[in-house]
This record gives sequence, C-alpha cells and structure tokens, in this order.
Amino acid sequence: MTVVGHIRPAADDAPPRPERAALRWRALGLAITLLLWTVVLVLCLVPLALVLVISVGQKVEGAGWEWGFTAENYIRFLVGAQWPAETTFLYLTQLYWSMRYAVVASVIAVVTALPFTYLMTRQSRRAQALWLVFLLATLSLSEVFIVMGWDIILSNNSGLPMLFAASGLTDWLKATGWFDVLRDWGLANPRNVKFKTSEFATVLTMSYLVWPYAVILLYPALSRLDPSLAEAARTMGARPWTVARTVILPAVRLPLLGAVLLLFVFLLGGYVAVTVFADPAKHTTAVSVYEHVRGSTLNAPFGAAQSVILLVTAAVFLVIGHRLSRTSRGGG
Amino acid sequence: MGALSLGNIGKEYGEARAVDGITLDFPEGQLTALLGPSGCGKTTLLRMIAGLEVPTRGTITMGGRDITRVPAHKRKFGMVFQSFALFPHLSVRDNVAYALTIAGTPRGEAAARADRLLDLVQLAGLGERRIGQLSGGQRQRVAIARALAQEPDVFLLDEPMSALDAKLREEMQVELRLLQQRLGVTTIVVTHDQREAMTMADRIIVMSRGKVEQEGTPQEIYHWPATGFVAGFIGRANFMDGIARDGRIMVGEIALSLPQAARFLDGSPVQLACRPEAIRMGEGGAGANRVQGRVTFVRDLGPVRDFHLETVLGKLVVEHGSDQSTSPKIGETVHLTLPPEALRIYPRLPPQDLSGGVPSALAAE
Repeated sequence: MTVVGHIRPAADDAPPRPERAALRWRALGLAITLLLWTVVLVLCLVPLALVLVISVGQKVEGAGWEWGFTAENYIRFLVGAQWPAETTFLYLTQLYWSMRYAVVASVIAVVTALPFTYLMTRQSRRAQALWLVFLLATLSLSEVFIVMGWDIILSNNSGLPMLFAASGLTDWLKATGWFDVLRDWGLANPRNVKFKTSEFATVLTMSYLVWPYAVILLYPALSRLDPSLAEAARTMGARPWTVARTVILPAVRLPLLGAVLLLFVFLLGGYVAVTVFADPAKHTTAVSVYEHVRGSTLNAPFGAAQSVILLVTAAVFLVIGHRLSRTSRGGG
Repeated sequence: MGALSLGNIGKEYGEARAVDGITLDFPEGQLTALLGPSGCGKTTLLRMIAGLEVPTRGTITMGGRDITRVPAHKRKFGMVFQSFALFPHLSVRDNVAYALTIAGTPRGEAAARADRLLDLVQLAGLGERRIGQLSGGQRQRVAIARALAQEPDVFLLDEPMSALDAKLREEMQVELRLLQQRLGVTTIVVTHDQREAMTMADRIIVMSRGKVEQEGTPQEIYHWPATGFVAGFIGRANFMDGIARDGRIMVGEIALSLPQAARFLDGSPVQLACRPEAIRMGEGGAGANRVQGRVTFVRDLGPVRDFHLETVLGKLVVEHGSDQSTSPKIGETVHLTLPPEALRIYPRLPPQDLSGGVPSALAAE
C-alpha cells in the first residue's frame, strides 16, 4: 500500500508527456496509412476505373474516344457488331482460345513440375538451394527472349523438323504410320513434321514460360510434406505409384489447384507466344485487346471492354477455385 | 513366418557409421526393445528391418529367407512412426483400412476389419472422425491399429510414446504390452526411455554408438549390466574409479572387496558401479566395505528419499525408503555399507571411450 502511495504523486506529474508522444505516433501512423491508400488508389484503382469508363465510352473516328454510357462494346464482344441483324461469335471464340491455351498450358506446367519438385525436396538442402537459385534466375529471361528461342527450335528450316529429316526420324515416322497421326494433329505437312503455327507450339511455349513458377508454387507444400507419410504407406504394401496416387497427390491437392489457378490467370493475358505460334484464327482476347488499343483499328473503348471481360473471366475462375478448395478442405 | 535374424548388419552414411556390424535374433512372438541414447543407431536399425533403408552390409533373414533387398512394400511388416504419419485426408476408418484397400480387399470387408481393429484399440465408434479431430493418445491408437491391419509378420514401433504426455505414456505402455501378448506378434520397439523398455519388453537390447552393448531380460540388464555404459543408462548407479590390488579394489585409500575382483590383474584400472538402493545406511552390522559419509542433500521423492553423501569414495547417492526410522539430516555423519554382491566391476577404458553419457557420480535417472 505504502509503495503505491509513493508512486502515485510521481505518476500525476508525468501524464502530459507520454500522452503527447503517443498522439504524435498515432498521427504518424495515420499519415502512413493514408499515403499507402493513396498509392493503391492511384496505381491500381484509378487505372481500373479509367478502363471501365472507357469501355462504356464511344469511339471517335480517326481520333480517340469520348465519354458515353453505351453497352455496344460489350454487345459487340458477345454477339458481334451487326447484331441483331447478324450474329457472330468471333470475340467469344477468342476468349475460348484464351482460356483453352491457359488451362492446357498451366495444367501441363503443374503436372510436369510436380514430380520434379517432389524429387527436388528429397535432395540435400544444398542441392535444393542450388535448384531454386537456378530456377529463380531463369525467371529473369524475358518472355520475348524465350519465345524467340522456341521459335528457332521449332522452325521448319533450322530447328527440330530439320533434325527429324536429317536424322531419319521423319522416314521412320512415315514407315511406322505415326506420320499420318501427326498430320491428323496438324503437326506435319506432306513432306516433314512441322511444329510452327500450331496449338502444340503455343501451349508448349506457354507452359515452358510458367514452369519455374509452378515449381516455386509447389515447393513449400511438398517440402513440408512429412516423409514418413510415404514411408508409412510403403510399409503397408503400397508400391511407389500407389504411394503417389493415394498419399502424396491427396496431400498436395490444394496447392496443386492453387498453382494451376494462379498460372491460368497469369497465362490468360499471354501475348507474345500466341502471336508467334498460334494460327491467326486461334488468336486470343489479349491479342485482340492489343490490336484494338494500339493496332490498326484504334478502337480504345472496344479494347477496354475486352480487357474488362478478360478480367472478369479471371475473377470468376479465382472464385470457383476458392469455392472448390473450401469444400474440399471441409468435406473431402 | 519364423524368427527374424540380423547377420552382421551395418549402415554407413558417407564417413559416419550409424550401425556397426550387429548380429541379433528376434524370437517369434516376443517383444524386443532397442534401447539407447539418441544417435546410437537404433532407429536406423529399425528402418533397415522395415526395408526403408538398405544396409551397407550384412543380411536380414525372416524364417531363413533372405529379405535384405526386399522392398518395404513386399515385407508385410507393420510400422508405427514417431510422428504417427496418419493420412490427414482420410477418415480414421480409411486410415486403418489403408493396407487392405490398396491390396484390393472389398470395401465392406475392409471397413468391417478396420472397425474390429478400432474396437481392439478402444476406439470403437470413432471411424468417421477426421485425424485432426483426435487427441495425441487417440492418434497413437489409430497408428497402432493401422499397422496391425495387414496382420504383419513383424510389428515395428519407432519411439511410439514420445509424442504423448507422461501419464498417458505409462498407460499406453501397459496397454500396448497387453495387446502384443494377446496377438502374439513379433514386435520390436525403439525407445530411449529405459522405463518404457522395462515395462514392455521380454528382451532389451541396449545399443550405443551403432553397437550392441548388452542383450537380456529387463532384470538381467538391470541387475547385471555388462558394461559401465549399461549400468549408467539403465537406472541409476554410483560410479567409482579404482585399481585392482591383491584381489581387492582400491578406491583412493579404501580397499573394497567383491567376488569378481580376483579376475583382475594387480594394477589394472577398473570402474565400480553400485545401485543407490543397494547401499545400506545406518549403524547396524560390521561386515566389509564400510565407510562413513556426511549428508549434503536430501531429496524427498515421496515413497523414497535420496541421500547425497560426501564420502572417502567420492560423492554417493543412497536411496532409502521414506518410511524407515533412520532418517539422517543434512550435515550428519552416517555409516554406509556397500555389499560386495551389489558391486559391479568393469575394466576402466580410456575416458573418450566412455563418452556415452556416463558422469562419474550418478548417471541417468
């Protein structure tokens, strides 16, 4: 009691100082929060709002665009410019190709990265670090550079087709009948195999582009996986493939889904690989956006509408993925 | 089936020698404990028996058949892991039925077998639960039931109690022992806990630095530890360094007599060990090996008291029933008798060879 009595007067003298200091800190915290929000607003929300505004604006012939509130850009995307007289699904088809390339390429990347990453996590710490550094380093290569590389590898006169012909592989394919199968798949002309301007080349390059990301996305989940889970399965009679199917895959199904989704959204906006490798009839929405905004037609409002639709598509897939992961976490 | 035998099994990781030429037999239907401090190679040995590690040398045979290179999934040895390694994406029942499911047993039959096993480990009715909803003790029971589902030829447990709290651990030791006796399955338990080994095992194999120090029944190992290491690791012991002379052992100025002393040549360095409960304290009797000691500390443990004493032989700890009338206080001087038949003697090795955690006064509680 006496101790409290001694302390109290001293405490009564002090209050203004700490309170003022606390106030100053709070003001500073508020200022930083405000600044951050301003940055987010200016860098993210304002451009997004601008795209939204432009997408409902009107094109001015030979110039830019003007304010407006029209749905015609969106209608054009869905059923064509001549609607209701004539209905075309040109732009929806492009969206279909966007999704198809992105789905196939992201699934290929994740499925091939899974066994690689699993084996990587079983290596020594040092080996794992070296692999990760190497993979991170490859991310510094630009998309253009990688696409150029594949362009050369797949080109008819100097790439793999030449190697196929020179090594006799083409003749062997013809002799065994596989050549006709490749022709059916659009991967051969009458004389030799050809890879360029094909869905195969497009998807291959896109999955190559995101493959390091797939490894990095799967790495944390796989390295956290308790090795004794697989060992326990082995002692219960599971062969290596059974272990993978019944233990490892179910244990990492959520990170797998997450990786596919993230890479899908990333690839949805892929541009370079599509313009170089895809048949123009199978070009994507992203290519079309570029053509309308910067290319020959100079129709910014329509370009903006297309990018809004691309954005909405990505958001829809993310929401579906979120739902899936929630239900499988709860009940599966 | 038949007995499991190890013939000169060794495992090296680069330069490090984890298991160093071990030859052992595991009789059918018995529970054997592999006991030793961490890093003594006991888990590596168990993993080689399970087929999860390939020995660098030696052979493993099961009923006369060489299984050294047979992969784990073809051995039909059930194993309980230290972390239990239960599959988080499966229900309790599906975990237990895993071995049956992947072997192609019809679903209904596998589920029925799993339910019988859950009943056996006293988890009846919890089949639908998810692993995340179970307590540590329940998880361990699931792990045991799962390992038994394939009716294993050998049942292996790697530190099965280490994830449980002390009270639950003792209950589970008894329960596991009763279960093992009921099923009569050849069982090998790896543990670093001597009480656990003594509670459960028919036979204990004490290991140190990749080698077998001693094998025997719990009583043999406790009362006749073959080496100073075993004396220190199993239970507690007072250690004294001495020199053999004229059929007795000189510890400092004191000559102690014991039956085995004559086996040592004059002048050879020896180590003596004596259990704290074997030292008699009080005035009564004349007899050999009597010294005086001054009480420095009394540790009251309920049923027993530990007296820490300063003597001419060095520091000694004596355990005494707390109900006995003679209860010296700190600072008092008492008479101690070290009965010759309770003293154990070992050749004294250069210090670095005794580094298995044996301090000079009192080792391992």
